[in-house]
Amino acid sequence: MDISPILNGFGVVLEPTNLLYCLVGVIIGMLIGVLPGLGPGATIAILLPITYGIDPVSAIIMLAGIFYGAQYGGTITSVLLRLPGEASSVVTVFDGFALARQGRAGTALGIAAIGSFVGGTVSIIGLTVLAPVVAGFALDFGPPEYAALGILGVLLVSAIGNGNRLKAVIAACVGLLIATVGRDTFTGAERFTFDSLNLAEGIDFIPIAMGLFGLSEILYNIEERHNQVHSPAKVGNVWPSRKDLGQAKGAIGRGSLIGFLLGVLPGGGAVLSSLAAYAVEKRRAKQPERFGRGAVEGVAAPETANNAAATSSFIPLLTLGIPANATMALIFGALLIQGIQPGPQLVTEHPDVFWGVINSMYIGNILLLIMSIPMVGVFVRILRVRPAILAPITVLITLLGAYTVRNQVYDIFLVIGFGVLGYLMKKFGFEPGPLVLAFVLGSMIESSARQSLLIFGGDPAGFLTRPISGTVLAVVVIVAAWPLIRKALPRKKPAAVPGDSDRVEEKTP
Amino acid sequence: MSQPDPTPSGVADAGLQEEVERLHAEMEEARPPHAGPISQAAAALVALVVGVLAATGSYALGLGRLTQPGPGLWPFAISVVIVVLSVVLLVTGRRLEDTERFSKSSLLTAVALVTLVALAALLPVIGFEIPSLLLTFVWLRWLGKESWRSSIVISIGAVAAFYVIFVLLLQIPLPRLI
Amino acid sequence: MTILVGYLPTPEGEAAVEAGLREGALRGERVIIVNSPRRGAPVDEHMVGEAARDELLRRAKEAGVEAEVRQPLHDDDLPETFDRLVEETGASLIVIGLRHRSLVGKFVLGSAAQRILMEAEVPVLTVKAAR
Repeated sequence: MDISPILNGFGVVLEPTNLLYCLVGVIIGMLIGVLPGLGPGATIAILLPITYGIDPVSAIIMLAGIFYGAQYGGTITSVLLRLPGEASSVVTVFDGFALARQGRAGTALGIAAIGSFVGGTVSIIGLTVLAPVVAGFALDFGPPEYAALGILGVLLVSAIGNGNRLKAVIAACVGLLIATVGRDTFTGAERFTFDSLNLAEGIDFIPIAMGLFGLSEILYNIEERHNQVHSPAKVGNVWPSRKDLGQAKGAIGRGSLIGFLLGVLPGGGAVLSSLAAYAVEKRRAKQPERFGRGAVEGVAAPETANNAAATSSFIPLLTLGIPANATMALIFGALLIQGIQPGPQLVTEHPDVFWGVINSMYIGNILLLIMSIPMVGVFVRILRVRPAILAPITVLITLLGAYTVRNQVYDIFLVIGFGVLGYLMKKFGFEPGPLVLAFVLGSMIESSARQSLLIFGGDPAGFLTRPISGTVLAVVVIVAAWPLIRKALPRKKPAAVPGDSDRVEEKTP
Repeated sequence: MSQPDPTPSGVADAGLQEEVERLHAEMEEARPPHAGPISQAAAALVALVVGVLAATGSYALGLGRLTQPGPGLWPFAISVVIVVLSVVLLVTGRRLEDTERFSKSSLLTAVALVTLVALAALLPVIGFEIPSLLLTFVWLRWLGKESWRSSIVISIGAVAAFYVIFVLLLQIPLPRLI
Repeated sequence: MTILVGYLPTPEGEAAVEAGLREGALRGERVIIVNSPRRGAPVDEHMVGEAARDELLRRAKEAGVEAEVRQPLHDDDLPETFDRLVEETGASLIVIGLRHRSLVGKFVLGSAAQRILMEAEVPVLTVKAAR
């Protein structure tokens, strides 16, 4: 393997400006991630316009920083307030909050930071080795393979996400439909433009993402949901003791591996891996009853795994051009805006971007570790700020930011429109994530499918006879039919787990 | 490193799954009560209408043939999927509990929406300062129930900060009064 | 009859609790210690946790007074929160701690204590922190 592009990548990342972007990203991500209500997705979406003006590598470095920071911010609220910022830190709540109640919140946060760092680093090393290999393998892919992969990606994200699958797939289809608005590249016909000049150019990714992820979240949070007030918790000593580290060591190691392996899967890799890592630790433990009552491993395992998974989910994005989850869809969109098409060619055509992104993760991880341990106290203080004060400021950033991208008021109206759509979708039980992901992949899937039809001379059976696209489509069918298959299978009776029932009855005031 | 079960089946720890669901249920409690079968039907119907409209629209664009796909073929295929799925949802989804009732506090969201539209409409006419000031003030005073005094202080401060950052430092060409 | 005591974990708040308990013992009345956090922020530094609540109750017991701690949320309407409690519990007296504020401080932060003084419908006993 030629190592010089990797080293060049480090050169790019270590430029002071890029380091600064990474640092700013981590800080902003943590600041916003700590606030309940706005997760990593919303944070990245709102800040998309910032990346518009800066060069691609810096933009992605900053977004990756935001992503890491926001994830750790969610961990802070899981541990201290029992409010997981994201689905992937839900399991952290069990032992993290138990530790916090014992006055050991600091230990939990410290272990989480160290675990995230190790998991992330292991995963990045895996990514460094594996990504070029996968990309090389994918170089032979033609339009049929891409069409099949795209459909699989959309379907998996819809199927694994939370909420009703039927609604998720409908939302995804609407996303695909929105992607068709504008001039058809093959025939030049205008589709669903209603004679509007603005619509003829198609709908831009930025307003969709900002509206559906950012503004909708804010509108949804106006209806006061977080009505619990907590007394300030003592964070205590953040550096875990040698004993804690010894206890967590195994969990961190296994969590890194589980996270890396599961993160590559499209769909909720991070969520799945945090659950799996926790379950594995609990099963291996000599005294499984400690779990849920403040076991250090119970924090270390899921936090390590979700960070490892979040990192390895960059593999399908960077090598195949298929985002594995809604957050990756945002990064994908940001790359497209910069004129960079993620995919197997990325490593050869834009090695600076490819290695810049990967190496920025090393830096992001180190910065996260450096920032989180001494700064936890600062971030915890942010919890005292009333969201009502931050909401209008966030809204202004969103609306004015949307305007600055093209200096068009039309874009503000689009953001508002999609914000309302996202709000209504949430009210009616539809997740906006699949819609955005499907929108991002929509035109790629359509053009690949149409090119394939041309290659096959109009015979759709061609998709099935090519080995790779055929296999992928078989998986698509299995995923789509999975609920029916599961119904047909006889169900095993779940075994009750003792010792876990005492946690729920009491809330802290 | 020995690993008993790193595969997804390791997740099928029933007790853990239960715990996670319980936590989710608890967080759901903070949400308003679910809205019942009518809203489910309404949601499915809206999806159905979207599907039907899109299907007719793309049919009108021309489907072409498989050897030579027309501009309407792909959207038509998607629309058919939407139609089929929303019919299934209409039939099977009645008892889902994932919709939310609109409550009195949904009015706040409506107010918020008005301020957003007002900002977008006024921006090109009178610049960003006054609309931003109004928006922040309304959000603080009535949506956030802050006191008059802090609403005024914070909204002026926020807009001033925006002016300094966007206009003076970043020199972004926002439409403005001064 | 009952006595409402406004409590925050500050010297003024401690003084108020002390005076309230003394008054309760004197009159033989029940004391409700009100520790009302501001609605909105996930964490309010003025809100006390379990241990501090137990400590307050222990002090009440020592003083021989029947007491409870309530933690209702308030928005920008602390006086109204007290009014509601007065109505609900039929309290005959409110005890609050007062803090010396500069003119500027009063303008910027307002004074919840002053508003309670002016607006409450029952007598209000104010105390200062021990120096």
